Amino acid sequence: MSILTLNNVSYRYDGTKKNVLKGVSASFEAGKVYAIVGKSGSGKSTLLSLIAGLDVCTDGKILYGEKDLKEIDRDSYRAKGIGVVFQAFNLITNSTAIDNIVLSMQISGSNERDKKSFAYGLLERVGIDKETADRKVLKLSGGEQQRVGIARALAHNPNIIIADEPTGNLDTDTENDVLKILSSLAHDEGKCVIIVTHSKKVSSIADEVLGMKDGKLTSVNQGK
Amino acid sequence: MYIIQNALKNVVRNKGRNILLGSIIFAIIATTVVALMITNTSDRIIDEYRGQFGIEVTIERNTQTFVDMRQRGEAAMGINITNEQFIAFADSDLLQRSVIMNSAMIYSETVTAIGQTGELAAGHGFAIAPTMQMHGNNWEDFTNGHRVLVVGEMPVRVNEVVISEELAELNDISVGDTIRLYGTVMEPAAAMGFTPPVYDLVVTGIYFCAAESVGTWGSTTMIRQNEVLTVADTMPGAAIIARYYLRHPSYIDAFEQELREKGLHPIFDVNTDEHLFNAIVGPVEGMRGIVMTFMFVVLILGAIILILLSSIAIRERKYEIGVLRAMGMKKVKVALGLWFEMVTITAICLAIGIFVGSLVAQPISTELLAQQQETAQNIQDQFFAGREIAGLSRVVNDDPITEINLTLGIDTMLQIILISLLLASAAGIAAISKITKYEPIKILMERN
Repeated sequence: MSILTLNNVSYRYDGTKKNVLKGVSASFEAGKVYAIVGKSGSGKSTLLSLIAGLDVCTDGKILYGEKDLKEIDRDSYRAKGIGVVFQAFNLITNSTAIDNIVLSMQISGSNERDKKSFAYGLLERVGIDKETADRKVLKLSGGEQQRVGIARALAHNPNIIIADEPTGNLDTDTENDVLKILSSLAHDEGKCVIIVTHSKKVSSIADEVLGMKDGKLTSVNQGK
Repeated sequence: MYIIQNALKNVVRNKGRNILLGSIIFAIIATTVVALMITNTSDRIIDEYRGQFGIEVTIERNTQTFVDMRQRGEAAMGINITNEQFIAFADSDLLQRSVIMNSAMIYSETVTAIGQTGELAAGHGFAIAPTMQMHGNNWEDFTNGHRVLVVGEMPVRVNEVVISEELAELNDISVGDTIRLYGTVMEPAAAMGFTPPVYDLVVTGIYFCAAESVGTWGSTTMIRQNEVLTVADTMPGAAIIARYYLRHPSYIDAFEQELREKGLHPIFDVNTDEHLFNAIVGPVEGMRGIVMTFMFVVLILGAIILILLSSIAIRERKYEIGVLRAMGMKKVKVALGLWFEMVTITAICLAIGIFVGSLVAQPISTELLAQQQETAQNIQDQFFAGREIAGLSRVVNDDPITEINLTLGIDTMLQIILISLLLASAAGIAAISKITKYEPIKILMERN
């Protein structure tokens, strides 16, 4: 059952004539890891921002379930429907790790009574202990920040996790840990995990690999 | 609720930036507190002064106008203001109050005036030259302390009078005695058979007189201790002296219009005694003007600096805003959080600003008032130089306001809170308007 469907999606930046995405169609199911691969400039990150609801496609449709992203409240979609893990982490840097998670829960309107305890638990799950969780983000290592980023993406229990080069800034050990977490989210918890990557290692954990070139989807291969 | 919690945390998290913003807000608020305390107290004092004394109107014959009109055949000799006109002029809504006084030259066969050396005789065109003056309703010297009743009571009914201690002693007059005085008649009138009015008066009181006799010109009538004071109705036919006090100096044109409609001849000029008013409240008004100007300059400059700083602060925080937006926080909530941060900083500065402003307002006002008084005194000295005879010298007897006790009233507090809220909102709106330009995708792409 498709949780997210791309129907002939095209996109061009304001003030330009050239489409960076050209009629991309794909569907994404729960419980699977998807890797979107391709060279720089192929349109992977643009596609990811459209899926993340940070922008809208120029032509075509992106359906979340059966709802067109153009027609729904995309703030609410970002707050509740998806979780995004960024390559540059994009955390609130002058705040603590725990506050980042709690804030995400508050924005999504989480019903969790003790949000702080829940957030500590979530951070522990991605390998961040309580002491580290209470430190300011700026004082954490890149690997720790990425773990916090993953925890934040999970804080509101979304159906879809999107990750843009999630291991791009990480060492090998940490990369392995992060990939395990992402894989587990799909296979153990039934989330739909979509990863944009250059890394073959990341592609290797994917159930499906979507190749992109010049804004077009060129291939869909079974991973693993 | 979490918006407020997050805003409060952000106030602490961004303390370096907020201390800078807070310093400017504090400076603006403290200045506003001082300015508003001085302004509001000054306004109250000026209003009280106006309410108490009003602005005196002077009606003076303009000799040049008379000569000009006479040459054109538009004015004849003997144009005057009649008693009826003086009384009619007093009937005006523009006046805070009016005093109708009258006055007559008198003499007596039984009461010897102070300084009187010979027998009563004709002189200065009178069948019998006056030796004293009788004033009706002229109690000003009792108000300003130049005369004090020492025995008996003030006259309240027709034919009751008070006389000076010296006059009473010279003539062995006591309270309760009756004295006979005569009005004057010009020699031609006397020749036609006119007789002087006779006043049989009961002495109800005796006063001490400290008022100075200026320029007696050898006449006993000019000696202040020879003045017999009574109510105006004792002398119904006597020449009227009227004093009119406007509610506000700006009413002078409307009042003159009324007087002209009531028959005041164009040879009379109508003016306000603004110099007297300015001598007393001028320093306060001057100080008020200075602090208001200063406050407006500080408010305008402060608001500009604050808006610029807020805009810069928001630019620095655009990544944070981008992240919040990417996490799904709505623009309005981001804006609300930023506005609440600004309000929190302003509220803290408001408390400190009111405290510090209240402390320094009194010494600042005392210093400013002293400077203004010095300036006003110099102007008054120049203005009144050589004009004592014209009667304007009495201004020196009216003490200018030398001290104002500042109070922080509810009205002042509300004004300060309103100004602070407006400042916070202006800075907040400047910052918030920037947010609309920050789409999360663009911010995050720039960062990446």
